[in-house]
Amino acid sequence: MPSWPALASQAFNGLALGSLLALVSSGLTIILGTLGVLNFAHGALFAVGAYAAFVMLQYTQSFLLAIAVGCGFMLVLGFLLERLIIRFFYGRPHEDQILVTYGIGIVLVECVRAVFGGNAQRVPTPSWGQGATQLGFLIYPTYRLQLIAIIATLLVGLYLVLYRTSMGLVVRAGIENPGMVGILGINLRRTFLLVFAIGVVAVGLAGMLYAPVVAVTPDMGANFMAQSFVVIVLGGLGSFPGAVVGGLIAGEIVSLTSAFNSSYSEVMLYALMALLLVLRPQGLFGSEGRV
Amino acid sequence: MSLLEVDRINTLYGDSHVLFDLSIRVEEGEVVALLGRNGAGKTTTLRSIMGVLAPRSGEIRLDGKPISGLAPSAIARLGVQLVPEERAIFGGLTVEENLRIAALTAPNAWSFERIYAVFPRLKERRKSLGRTLSGGEQQMLSIARALIRDARIILLDEPFEGLAPLIVRDLVNVAAGLAREGRTMIVVEQNVAAALSFATRVYGLNNGHVVFEGSSAELTANPELARDFLGVGV
Amino acid sequence: MSIARSGGLRSHTPELAILLTLIAAPVVLPHLGFSIDLLTRVLNWGLIGLGFDILFGLAGLLSFGQAAFYGAGGFVTAYLLVSGTLTSVWLALAAGTISAGAFGLIVGWLAVRRIGIYFTMITLAFGQMAYFIENSPLSHYTGGENGIPGVPVPMLGFGEHAIRVGAGLPMYVLFAVIFFGGYVLARRIVCSPVGAILLAIKENTARVAMLGHNVPAYKLTAFVIAALYAGLAGGLLGSFQSYMPPDAFALETSGQLVVQTIVGGANTLIGPLVGAAVWLWLRDNLQLIPGLSTLWKLVLGIAFIVLVVALRRGICGEIIHWWTERRTLSARQAAEAVTETIEAGRGAMEASSRKQRDTTLPLPSPATADSDIALEACALARHYGGLKAVDGVSFKVRAGTIHAVIGPNGAGKSTLFKMLLDEVSPTSGHVLLFGSQVTGHGVSRTAQFGIAKSNQLNQLFPNLSVRKNLRIAALARCRGPLRIDLLRTADSLVEVEAQIDAIMALLNLARRADTPAHILAYGEKRRLEIGMALATSPKVLLLDEPLAGMSPSERAATCALIRDIARTCTIVIVEHDLDAIFGLAERITVLYEGRLLADGTADEIRSNQQVQDAYLGGLHAHEPA
Repeated sequence: MPSWPALASQAFNGLALGSLLALVSSGLTIILGTLGVLNFAHGALFAVGAYAAFVMLQYTQSFLLAIAVGCGFMLVLGFLLERLIIRFFYGRPHEDQILVTYGIGIVLVECVRAVFGGNAQRVPTPSWGQGATQLGFLIYPTYRLQLIAIIATLLVGLYLVLYRTSMGLVVRAGIENPGMVGILGINLRRTFLLVFAIGVVAVGLAGMLYAPVVAVTPDMGANFMAQSFVVIVLGGLGSFPGAVVGGLIAGEIVSLTSAFNSSYSEVMLYALMALLLVLRPQGLFGSEGRV
Repeated sequence: MSLLEVDRINTLYGDSHVLFDLSIRVEEGEVVALLGRNGAGKTTTLRSIMGVLAPRSGEIRLDGKPISGLAPSAIARLGVQLVPEERAIFGGLTVEENLRIAALTAPNAWSFERIYAVFPRLKERRKSLGRTLSGGEQQMLSIARALIRDARIILLDEPFEGLAPLIVRDLVNVAAGLAREGRTMIVVEQNVAAALSFATRVYGLNNGHVVFEGSSAELTANPELARDFLGVGV
Repeated sequence: MSIARSGGLRSHTPELAILLTLIAAPVVLPHLGFSIDLLTRVLNWGLIGLGFDILFGLAGLLSFGQAAFYGAGGFVTAYLLVSGTLTSVWLALAAGTISAGAFGLIVGWLAVRRIGIYFTMITLAFGQMAYFIENSPLSHYTGGENGIPGVPVPMLGFGEHAIRVGAGLPMYVLFAVIFFGGYVLARRIVCSPVGAILLAIKENTARVAMLGHNVPAYKLTAFVIAALYAGLAGGLLGSFQSYMPPDAFALETSGQLVVQTIVGGANTLIGPLVGAAVWLWLRDNLQLIPGLSTLWKLVLGIAFIVLVVALRRGICGEIIHWWTERRTLSARQAAEAVTETIEAGRGAMEASSRKQRDTTLPLPSPATADSDIALEACALARHYGGLKAVDGVSFKVRAGTIHAVIGPNGAGKSTLFKMLLDEVSPTSGHVLLFGSQVTGHGVSRTAQFGIAKSNQLNQLFPNLSVRKNLRIAALARCRGPLRIDLLRTADSLVEVEAQIDAIMALLNLARRADTPAHILAYGEKRRLEIGMALATSPKVLLLDEPLAGMSPSERAATCALIRDIARTCTIVIVEHDLDAIFGLAERITVLYEGRLLADGTADEIRSNQQVQDAYLGGLHAHEPA
């Protein structure tokens, strides 16, 4: 039995990982819900985000500025991918959509590898995130606490976009019944473009924020993508609240399990998914929906 | 020139040929009823006009300009509005959000107050989610979404289907009021009496063809006329 | 596209071509930059690919988790050998293969319940799970990140005379022999009834279930077959490189398999092999070119996107397509010409010269208790939220009659029909077929009990010929919900073929036997739709708007056909064309707003005032009393 401080520390780790997964998964899930496309390039885009932070930091020397420029870059990348490739796949079978986004993922990762090589890069922790913070009975790295706060803010922002803006209204309606949205005079194609770009920025941002915590490699996104699949299966396909809650649950499961036996931490996550598939296949927040 | 002209369209549903050289015409300010048995092609006609199903051949014109082949969203922005049979309320959106999304692309959108004056019940339920509404309330909301857009021509597909008689009466009164105000409508309805009470002109459809054209009065006076294309085989 | 269609079912040309290629490859290909080891590796990928192509190419199930079975087979084999549990490589290979199959059975059982995106995500997640299990909890056995070194090579023969299958050419020969065996087996599976059903599942899953096949079980069969092939290939990998690497379990491995299959061509069996050759050749040879060394995968990724966007069939698929097109072009054009003639003079030809047709079918209907009442609906209700689509409807259908269900739009006819077949489960109430309950068994079991349905919108297998469409149906009656007869050819069941011939004669489709369903004229498609239901030799045939979209002469011909069928089978019919109904049905049930309005003989219904009112929507209110 681990000590209470160790357990609390792992709970915080779980919160950090969970909020990150929530951000990655909400990008994946709103693209899936609105466009009906499961984006297999999501993991690659996570890595691209981390490298964007790495490059921009070298030019700007300011973490915040690097992230701002990096977001702009991800936005443009999202627009380009949607216009040049994804939009031709809305009417094609799911299998084709999966295959083409998987292909995009390969190309992105290989581009990164061609430019930066396969070795791990380090992104330094920003100056304002150095050191550790005293939290009563435990000491916890400051940047991870900030990470939780920043991502929580971003998720609230995403919530406001989805639930308080006209575009969010169209997205939520489009997830339910895209045909009727068209009948009400709204051209969903433009919304699709925006949603795809927002999803790409969300996952890219997750990559940027996570870069100081881990080694940045071209393949770093693959495992995140697999985990975010588990998250959206947990939360229900296309559900934003599901992605957030599912992400937090997944993060805590991985972290708390490793407090007891680290070798089972990832395995537990997938075992939970298997259990849920048997007991509640539509996920926590899901209805079968259009997928 | 008529407001809406459907000119010899042929529409297929899957690989089934539903409309055969079908032509109808709607003048400004007119309420036209499409009557016919199940499977006669009434709903398909409305869906063809809205652009949900593209006609294989023929042309649909609004103000003399062809609209067939445009996307439903483009046709809606020109002022044609379908109120679909299944109502298609967004269940996860509130009543007010349903109205707000409908008004988004309408240049002369009505105010919520004007809508609530027509449907006071919707005002009471404006914060409720669409999926919690009763059938009658859903139908009101579905019609309200077309009204708030100030549509030039409203296509009502079976607006009274599956509703209790009292609610049907209320909705008929609303429709009759709109007709008096001069709003152009096409209505498809099984409830012939209800449809005839506010329609001015009637097309009878059978097997995807127009088999009857005349005024409502004509049909009301001679019910046996309708039997040929409506009734249980006599 | 598919091999099964390009050659006759019994043609052995593909096997011969593969055999010759395998023999020629080590002689010819080294000059093109393929080393013997590279060829062996290609064969290893090709072997997993055979199973994967049955799963993805044939049955349409895109798995991103094949690495789980490749790794499982590999590590079980390697562990058994290195730990000394087994000394025979052959036995260890068998054990590894079977373990992979068992693992596939568990994962597949969970995965095949879901379709499309869900299926892919679940397989991917289980693949990752296997990777982490290998990596940590089992690292004591598997070596974790280090893998298992020192896996021995197989021996041929016993004792002192045994020959070591060493690296290089001997290993190639071993892999080639195993691949060839795997290929022959895979082709038999493709040509078997199971293969035919899997292809039909890809074309139209719902219809396969409605005909009485146990779809999840067939999907699971394909899944386990793919796992077995992957497990065997994984086991061989360890022997081949005398080391079992942990990245056999990596997501990368599953992804590479998918890419290779698409590049080579899905549903061709050899596509994955060809794709692997391209992938590995590019990797080995582009690396030799200065400046391109790191770009080989980028090049491949771009090529892959282009293939997915533009050339969906892949290399082998395009070649086979081109070849079949050339051979069958004239036949197809002739078939299309026939269709145009029929569409031009719709129905004129068929209304003429009708005689009563023989409707007894070679395959017997399922045995049921003897009773006057064929089908009975007992207080059936179906509520959707607050909406009562069907609300407590009861009626009886007498054996040997034509019974109609009518009612205005929204009366609940479709929902009622779906409940009769257990396509939709009732909120309350149940359905009895000759006194025994069918409700609760699901649509495919209900079909096996003897209820078949022809749908309002055609539910055909569009790319299969008329004969193959009917075969899927007849196989369900002949073989039951599930039989894993992988070695028999699909067209070898005499009664099934006789059944198909009888139905094609009855439906006047005999001359269209080899025409793909999507080329047929509309009327012919409608007849095939009914024919597929009929080919299951049902006790009760449900016809959902059989006359929809037909011209008057086609309607007359179809009504006559329905009367013919009614001589051997009870019919329940939903139809809008009331004139036709009053001409056909002995009894009529009228629904109105989800409830039973009237039930009686045609004459009773015709004169029923309530029915008149329901249909005319109270028009009578305006009539003078």
